[in-house]
Amino acid sequence: MMELVPHIINGLTLGLLFALIALGFTLIVGVMEVINLAHGSLFALGAYFALATLGGGWFGSTEFGVWWLSLPIGMRYVFALVVGPLLAAGAGMIIELCLRPTYGKAPLYGLLLTFGAALVVEELIRLIWGTGEQSLTVPQAINGAFLMGGLIFSKYKFFAAGFALLAIGGVWFFLERTPYGAIIKAGSHDSEMVRALGYDLSKLRLLVFGFGASLAGLAGIILTPIWGLRPHVGLDVVIPAFLIIVIGGVGSFWGAVLAAVLVGLSVGITGAYAPAWSMMSMYLLLIAIVGVRSRGLLGRKSALEN
Amino acid sequence: MISLSDIPARGGSPFTPAMGLFVALLLTAPFWLEPIGLYHYLGIEIAIWILFALGFNLLFGFIGLHSFGHGAYLGVGAYAFGLFQQEVTVSLWGGLAVAILAATLAGAIVGAFVSHRRGIYFALMTIAFGQVFWFGAIKLHSITGGEDGLLGIARPDLVVGPMRLDISDNISLYWFVAVILVLAVVALWRIVNAPFGRVLQAIRQNETRAQFVGYNVWLIKWLTFTLSAAFAGLAGGLFAMAQESAYPDVMSLHQSGLIVMMVLIGGGLVSFWGPVLGVLLYFIARDIIGGITETWLLWFGLMFVIMVMVRPEGVAGLIHVLRQKFAQTQQKTVAPASNPERA
Amino acid sequence: MSKSKLTRRALLGSAAAAGGLAAFAGPWKHNRVWAAGTDKPIKIGITSDASGQYANSGASDRRGMLMAISEANAKGGVLGRKIETTHIDTETTPATGSRVAERLISREDCGFLVGAVSSGVANAISQVAQRNGVIYLNTNSSSPTESGKNCHRVKFVWDGNGTNFAKAAVRNSIDAYGGKVLLLTNDYVWGHDTAKATRTLIDQYGGEVLDEILIPQGTRDFSAALLKIQQTNPDVVAAAVGGDDQIALRQQVAQLGMGSKPAWINNQQDWPDVYGLPLDNLFGVFGTTWYYGLDLPGVKEFVERYQTMYPDTSMRVPGNVFYNGYMATRELLAAIERAGSTNNIAIIKQLEGHVMAAADRMQHDDAVIDPITHQVQQTIYLATANDEPRNEQDMFKILTQSSPQDVRDEASLGSCKLESYDDTPSFDA
Repeated sequence: MMELVPHIINGLTLGLLFALIALGFTLIVGVMEVINLAHGSLFALGAYFALATLGGGWFGSTEFGVWWLSLPIGMRYVFALVVGPLLAAGAGMIIELCLRPTYGKAPLYGLLLTFGAALVVEELIRLIWGTGEQSLTVPQAINGAFLMGGLIFSKYKFFAAGFALLAIGGVWFFLERTPYGAIIKAGSHDSEMVRALGYDLSKLRLLVFGFGASLAGLAGIILTPIWGLRPHVGLDVVIPAFLIIVIGGVGSFWGAVLAAVLVGLSVGITGAYAPAWSMMSMYLLLIAIVGVRSRGLLGRKSALEN
Repeated sequence: MISLSDIPARGGSPFTPAMGLFVALLLTAPFWLEPIGLYHYLGIEIAIWILFALGFNLLFGFIGLHSFGHGAYLGVGAYAFGLFQQEVTVSLWGGLAVAILAATLAGAIVGAFVSHRRGIYFALMTIAFGQVFWFGAIKLHSITGGEDGLLGIARPDLVVGPMRLDISDNISLYWFVAVILVLAVVALWRIVNAPFGRVLQAIRQNETRAQFVGYNVWLIKWLTFTLSAAFAGLAGGLFAMAQESAYPDVMSLHQSGLIVMMVLIGGGLVSFWGPVLGVLLYFIARDIIGGITETWLLWFGLMFVIMVMVRPEGVAGLIHVLRQKFAQTQQKTVAPASNPERA
Repeated sequence: MSKSKLTRRALLGSAAAAGGLAAFAGPWKHNRVWAAGTDKPIKIGITSDASGQYANSGASDRRGMLMAISEANAKGGVLGRKIETTHIDTETTPATGSRVAERLISREDCGFLVGAVSSGVANAISQVAQRNGVIYLNTNSSSPTESGKNCHRVKFVWDGNGTNFAKAAVRNSIDAYGGKVLLLTNDYVWGHDTAKATRTLIDQYGGEVLDEILIPQGTRDFSAALLKIQQTNPDVVAAAVGGDDQIALRQQVAQLGMGSKPAWINNQQDWPDVYGLPLDNLFGVFGTTWYYGLDLPGVKEFVERYQTMYPDTSMRVPGNVFYNGYMATRELLAAIERAGSTNNIAIIKQLEGHVMAAADRMQHDDAVIDPITHQVQQTIYLATANDEPRNEQDMFKILTQSSPQDVRDEASLGSCKLESYDDTPSFDA
């Protein structure tokens, strides 16, 4: 039994990371009812932007570039954590502008447009940063390993899981406890009402998509030191994000978090006892849960069902 | 926006001008493919994908069930064809029959799980099942050959009565595939223009209403899913012959996504012939842009994004609108009110 | 929807369509030149991946081929004929591999095909190539099945395979670190083949397999497996994990500092996959066919030629993937020259059993193209991360080298059945 404990801890951290991955995706689906297949590409884009910021790739060997690289890594890392998501948000907003003609049509069109956008972003990454594997250096303080119960755990993994918790809390606070959140949530339920109250719905959508994209970018930066970074890394992201929102129920914030933790636990525990089935366990979990509860764990009715 | 129902259906005879053009192009292709700089193998592959796409559109366009895991049935057909050649006997008709049967069976089982779903949940369940098939093909490598593929699948002789024809070279295989495709297209055309086809569209437009009118919606959805898987199985069997092997990749989400993309870009939602146009556009664009630049996906992606923004009904929709406009300018009449938007 | 808007949209649409048509007409100007004679160029089709998982290795592979070809062209070509190439992306997808091979052979009239990293793609290409009798060089796929049950008369395999690398590494590791071994195996054909070879060797050298952890393809988080390894506590972990999975594994092992204890045996670390990464990503020992830091005559000049030809490439020195692409292509051209004709069967016979001098290949032993399996039998180097690098490119430290006969993949001798010459269509390229 004691052998199981580290795997449960590991599964929980994994689950939090999955939640972080799915956060931006579930926000956009929940509020805008757009399945954003470019989520993975924005994830990658955020990481590449952070890479260029951290390594001073933007400035080359100019005087400023040299000065920038002489700053301590911790400072540059924090800066990259801000700049990466912001730039990803910019890219997300461009995609949202392209999405406008699809509003009011079947949700399929939004999905297709973002699929095309994903192809374009991935190819652009290839053109700008090359096809090779890249790595993102993190400050020494959060790197390395520590011992717990005689086993080695990664410090970074726990930092990342803690960060995921913060992000989940932050998004929840924003949606539930701020007036902006109230407007966004209202927009998802009744766009006519929001318009009638004098809010600009298109600006709202632009901001929500930008926010979702920045969360994707943030997840990219946090996950890169674990997964590595290559132009097609986004492919690894969309599927788990997809599974998680469906298991959790489309449009449900806590459903997604709960589903992510469940997926993390199932991957973590099968990873130890039936490793050959660890990837498959996600799909089996989906078929089992959605087979019983057709709207997922905490789902509510959504336009995407039509 | 226009939809399938806005293009008037013809009853009875499938011998429409579009069908005539399609059959004429298909059957003359071996004579002009090479002079215009294409090659016969591409013709085979396009014909197979047209078959796959048309069968898929029964599900996707007509009944409006958005499957994102349809590559699985193509793969099942391909593996079934190959395993039959290698384990049982080398026979063309036997192999194709087994390919269709296996895919039908797989479709029937999955269909039973997903047919009471709609919209996003349907799509996601098909993805999950598609991944399970793909994963299984890699995992059961002692049967399927795993990522190396099931290799050395024969292109068996065509036996019709006392006749035995060798179809192992690309040109004769093309003829064979083309004839099968024509038969399948006529069959599909009859299906969608029969009362059954109207029911499919009724279900797409309003499932609840169709239910109240007295149709067994679940059964019809399940039947359509299974039928569409059967066509995918046939295409898969032919694909295994063309490639002389079967690979797990055709079952991946990526490939299943591509068929959706082709059907949509061609206008499968608005026309029976949409998938044909989409497959042609995709393969030819890929062959040409791919020969010019390595970043062909960038250009294809951009083209696709613009298409969804500007002309979401796809090529078929574009042709339809152009024809309407052409007719209008000839008659010098004022444009009629545009079709009501249908979400 | 207003009328004017519709017109604008329709216009946009037709403009796009017209653009499409122009692209349609452009490259279709067909010029199939059947004119025999020595002025006709020799056409080589390059089938390396430019997208998908192996895009980066594919690019390196291609640079190797192009350097060999440009050097031959600078000397006046082969048999007095210039060499031309056409490259089409195989997308790391077997189905695409088939179509690309068909196109290169039937439309571009390529007499030879070169390039592969993924074994699935290599198989797809080699089936088409065999049907047409077109010689195909599998430059960089290291699956043992390539020169085993999936071998072909027209296919020649240039990389070392999983068995070769395992042979080079297992004995050394057992002697140095102990015999309790845990296998970490990617759950697909290549992984299982490599693990099987490793198991045999472990038995042979008196080791013991404690457990085997199967890693499904597409795994990005190895923490569960790494915890399990700690709980099992082996002396050595023999990993057969490839592709993107391997990249994630490397980062996570480095983070845990588990790279030195337990000891690790890795499969080949392809240079394009590791170039530029932090050094602690390279843990354990691994095999390679070539390293630019080998202290052998000619290596320095080879690197200089690479740097002159590719001044803008981010990879500043060539690695094993480039090397294989280069050597394969160069030997093909040399075989055409020796055959004195472009007849495929004559060239195949020139390649089979051909001995390549160690000095020419910048390795320690002479290499030979095995006439039974068509795999190049060559020196395999055992390497590890370099703890005292001369510069930031100097990532490997070469520990030992094994001569071809010591690392020979004997199993393939039994499983490879080449088609006869008569069953291979003959033609002049």
